[in-house]
Amino acid sequence: MLFLGKTRLPLLLSRLAAEYELFAPVPSGDSHRMARSVPGLDPVFPPFRLSSSLRAFWLQPARVLATWSARGPAPGPEPKPRAIIGAKACDLRALEVLDKVLRGQDFVEPAYAAARDRHFIVSGDCTEAAATCFCTLVEGAPWPERGFDLNLSPAGEGFLVEAGSGKGDRFLLAQKDLLDEAPATLVAERDRRRAQVREQVDRQNEMVRPRSPYLQSVGKHLKTRLWGELAATCVECSACNYNCPTCYCFLLHETRDAGEVKRISVQDSCFHAGYSRMAGGGTPRLQLTERFKNHYFHKFVWFRETFGITACTGCGRCVEACMGKIDKRKCLRDLETRWIPTEVVQEL
Amino acid sequence: MDNAFVPMPAVVEDVITETPTIKTFVLSPERPISFRAGQFMQLGIPGLGEAPFTPSSSPFVPERMEITILRTGSVTNALHTLAPGAVVGLRGPFGRGYPVDHFEGREVLVVGGGVGLAPLRALLFWLFHEIDRVKRVSIKYGSREPAELCFRRLHEEWGRLPKVDFTCTIDRPAPGWDGRVGLVTTLLDGLDVDVKEAVVVSCGPEVMLKFVTLKLCDLGFPPEHIFLSMNRNMSCGMGLCGRCNVGPFYLCKDGPDMCYADIKDIPYALG
Ligand SMILES: Cc1cc2nc3c(=O)[nH]c(=O)nc-3n(C[C@H](O)[C@H](O)[C@H](O)COP(=O)(O)OP(=O)(O)OC[C@H]3O[C@@H](n4cnc5c(N)ncnc54)[C@H](O)[C@@H]3O)c2cc1C
Ligand code: SF4
Ligand code: SF4
Ligand code: FES
Repeated sequence: MLFLGKTRLPLLLSRLAAEYELFAPVPSGDSHRMARSVPGLDPVFPPFRLSSSLRAFWLQPARVLATWSARGPAPGPEPKPRAIIGAKACDLRALEVLDKVLRGQDFVEPAYAAARDRHFIVSGDCTEAAATCFCTLVEGAPWPERGFDLNLSPAGEGFLVEAGSGKGDRFLLAQKDLLDEAPATLVAERDRRRAQVREQVDRQNEMVRPRSPYLQSVGKHLKTRLWGELAATCVECSACNYNCPTCYCFLLHETRDAGEVKRISVQDSCFHAGYSRMAGGGTPRLQLTERFKNHYFHKFVWFRETFGITACTGCGRCVEACMGKIDKRKCLRDLETRWIPTEVVQEL
Repeated sequence: MDNAFVPMPAVVEDVITETPTIKTFVLSPERPISFRAGQFMQLGIPGLGEAPFTPSSSPFVPERMEITILRTGSVTNALHTLAPGAVVGLRGPFGRGYPVDHFEGREVLVVGGGVGLAPLRALLFWLFHEIDRVKRVSIKYGSREPAELCFRRLHEEWGRLPKVDFTCTIDRPAPGWDGRVGLVTTLLDGLDVDVKEAVVVSCGPEVMLKFVTLKLCDLGFPPEHIFLSMNRNMSCGMGLCGRCNVGPFYLCKDGPDMCYADIKDIPYALG
């Protein structure tokens, strides 16, 4: 394990900035946001994930997937590689979900795949949890275990540094002059700090801790009426989906300019009534309750059955963003505990 | 890796008017496109947009593709204005195609409604070509009115093929029509097939699919033998954009033809 003294961090980052365009958290109101960072600046490490997800780095709300003209596909200019400082464990978990769909199947989403390859991710352990965090209820933990290029864990007067990829290894190899071998006491300190934050997340979710996997507690509600009650205050704003780091739905759209055609993907949300609208006007999920249920089934049941992981990282952003004050954790608890078999709806 | 979002140019060689609202476009793509019956394409006018269609031509002829299109909205209206010589864009093929191995040695009942006969035609080409592998092909087709019967020019020819029979109906009586009248479900009354063994393939408007399926179940067809073309809303066509889901399935990659047994317990699977 390697140790980086606090005072050496700016130098390490400026070396990173020589290869990458750097993005780091900056204070914004009572929270933080990502901003392009100037080399030499001492970055702030927010205690927990930012309020907005990092999704826009790899999935811009509107992005060009293909450009071509009568002469064939036109390659765009190669964008500069980027380094992102301050990702948290749940941000990395979200990338696992997106990777499964967007670059793990027969067909690949080219803009996403290129953006993924272009980013160098420096993550960090959470030092506190936000009130809405529930990563430990969805098989997560408040420190990164994989999916980063570098991870920094606060310990002593600096950080324990770990590489999690070939890119990370190569970068660290060139920073030998800044790094020392970490004493076992610092590793123990890191583990102690990690356990404390995990405990905080567990404690604040004591009342909503599930007794059985969400796959089962949500899965048994395919045809029950509880959804109407859970969705009672939903105003169909889609804030939950737009703020979610794992949501990826899009709709294709085209533009034509001077013979050049661009195929653009526009972010979409399954909460919109028109989302499943078909030619002729029919919409299979016209009722809000069906769409609300679809959101939960997708994240906790179907995605898990298809791809082997839950499409929710427990980041709590949907809880924070909801106009209807709907707390996903409480809905999940209700789905587990309020099972009334006579409520089952029969239809074709 | 090739970018599957870039279409392949195809020249419109011919346009056949099938009915007042349906046209068949004969396309010659830049390179041959191999597809399995039931797989679909995204066809578009560059810059204007695209929509999913299942080729209505033979899967054994990859260098020339026919697509039969009902005029119903923005993209299909624009496609209907195209004349020979126009250049369109094709992406695909996408989806799994029909589970034709499952048809081996069985009676195959093909039930179509309106333009739904178009996607089924690729399967019919396959069945006619491989007729020795199945016991029989029975085609049941319905349309609103005589003028809207798709591929009317071919019906007689199909009915004369060995081991093939063709019956059609229109919804309401019409002047000059002396054929059968009634919804397509009425063609399922008094069927002379072995309901436990036969397989059924159906394509048509969502309401038709729903009532055909209910009737087939009433008649005792096992859900495992019923295959429905779920031609719903799609965008990417390849399991990435998320919008075509029916329960855990993405119709563009797991379908578009779904076995009824797999979807029957999903609320609103049939609209
Ligand atoms: C696998 C598959 C195979 C098919 N095969 C055939 C075939 O062989 N022949 C055939 O004729 N048809 C076929 N169809 C149907 C065909 O794709 C549709 O008729 C076609 O998409 C209609 O496009 P449009 O632009 O003309 O219609 P529009 O009604 O203008 O719809 C365009 C798109 O935008 C959406 N949309 C429109 N208005 C709204 C709104 N207000 N809010 C939200 N969304 C909206 C629609 O849902 C649709 O996706 C098939 C469909 C599928 C999925
Ligand atoms: S569903 Fe909510 S808690 Fe789960 S990943 Fe999305 S925003 Fe975070
Ligand atoms: S954020 Fe809340 S109100 Fe808005 S769509 Fe989601 S659940 Fe409904
Ligand atoms: S059409 Fe995009 S996932 Fe099926």
